[in-house]
Amino acid sequence: MASIMRPGLLRSACQNPAASQRMLSSFARSGIKRSSPLIHQLRPQFVHPTIPKSTRIAAFHVTQRQQIIPPLPQKIHGTLNDPVPVPNPEPVHGAYHWTFERLVSVGLIPLTIVPFASGSLNPVMDATLCALLVIHSHIGFESCIIDYIPKKRLPISRMVAMWALRIGTVALGVALYSFETNDVGITEAAKRLWQA
Amino acid sequence: MASQRVFQLGLRRAAVPSFSKVQPAGRMVQRRLAATQHFGESEGQQILAKQRLRRPVSPHLTIYRPQITWYASSLNRITGVALSGTLYLFGIAYLAAPTLGWHLETPSLVAAVASWPVFVKVGAKLAVSFPFIFHSLNGVRHLVWDVGLGFKNVTVTQTGWAVVGLSVVGSLYLSLLA
Repeated sequence: MASIMRPGLLRSACQNPAASQRMLSSFARSGIKRSSPLIHQLRPQFVHPTIPKSTRIAAFHVTQRQQIIPPLPQKIHGTLNDPVPVPNPEPVHGAYHWTFERLVSVGLIPLTIVPFASGSLNPVMDATLCALLVIHSHIGFESCIIDYIPKKRLPISRMVAMWALRIGTVALGVALYSFETNDVGITEAAKRLWQA
Repeated sequence: MASQRVFQLGLRRAAVPSFSKVQPAGRMVQRRLAATQHFGESEGQQILAKQRLRRPVSPHLTIYRPQITWYASSLNRITGVALSGTLYLFGIAYLAAPTLGWHLETPSLVAAVASWPVFVKVGAKLAVSFPFIFHSLNGVRHLVWDVGLGFKNVTVTQTGWAVVGLSVVGSLYLSLLA
C-alpha cells in the first residue's frame, strides 16, 4: 500500500507500466488510449476515507527533527551473509586492563583521605598521588574515547583523539613533576588556595 | 489490500473500450504497478548508506525514566571528565605559562584567589568540592560492586542516594566551614 503514501508512484506506473506489468498483457492491445484522466478521477475514491488528506499526500520523513548527535558517516562492509566480525580476545586489553584500573583506583583512596585528615602530604606521597592521578585520568579519558568514537566508523578521529590524549597525559606528567619540584606540590597548593 | 485490488479491477474494466471482450473472473491477478530500476552493487550500497543517514533514531536519553542508577553513572563520568579536564588544562597551561607570560605559580594563584569576593570564593569551592567528593564516593560504590556486593535494586538505590547526600553535606562543609 505504498501507493497511498506515494501518489506519484502509482500515477507514473499507471502511465508508463513495464512490459510485464501492463494490465491487458493477456489480451491483444492496439491503440488503446492511455486512461490517465480516468485514473485521476478514480484514485481519490479508493483511498480510505477516514485518513486525513494531509497524511495521504505526506511523503516519508524522519520523525526526529533535531538529532542530538547527527548520524556518523555510514560505510557498508561486506554483505548481510557475512558473520559478525568478533575481535580476538586479548587479556592485556581486557582482564588485565580492568584489574590494573581497579588497583589504581583502590590505591587512590588512602592517598585522597590522608591529606584531608592530616593537612598535607610529604613530597613522596604527593608524587605518588600525582602519578596515580595521571594514570587514573588517562584511563578514564580513554574509556570516554572508546565509548564515543567507534573505531570502525571514525578510524581517523579515533586515532587523533587517542594520540592527543597520550600527548596530553605526557604533558600533564611533566607539568606535575615540574610543579612538585619547583613549586609546593598539589596537596599543599590546594590547601593554600582553599585558605586564601 | 482490498481497496487496491478493487481499484485495479475497476481500472481494468474501465480501460477496455470495447464491450465485446468479456473478462473472465478467473484471470484476475493482482498486479503491483511499480516501476523498477536496476542498480549495480556499489551504487545500491551508496543508496543504502544514504538511507541509513536519514533513518530516524529512537529516543533514548530523552525518554528514559530518571533513575538514580543512570543519573549517578552519568554524573560520575561528567564529574570525572570535569576534574581531570581541569587538571590537564592546568598542567598544559603551567608548562606554557613562561612562554605566554602568565604567572601560574602558587604565590600568584593564592594572591588572585585572595582578591575574590567571599561569595565567589564559596561558589568556586562548592564547584570544585562537590564533583570531587561525588566522584570519590561513587568510585568507592563502583569498587564495592566490583567485589560483588550490593547488587540488589534496593541497595543500589540506597547507596546511590547516600552518595549524593554525603557529597552535598561534605561539599557544604568544605566550602563554608573549612
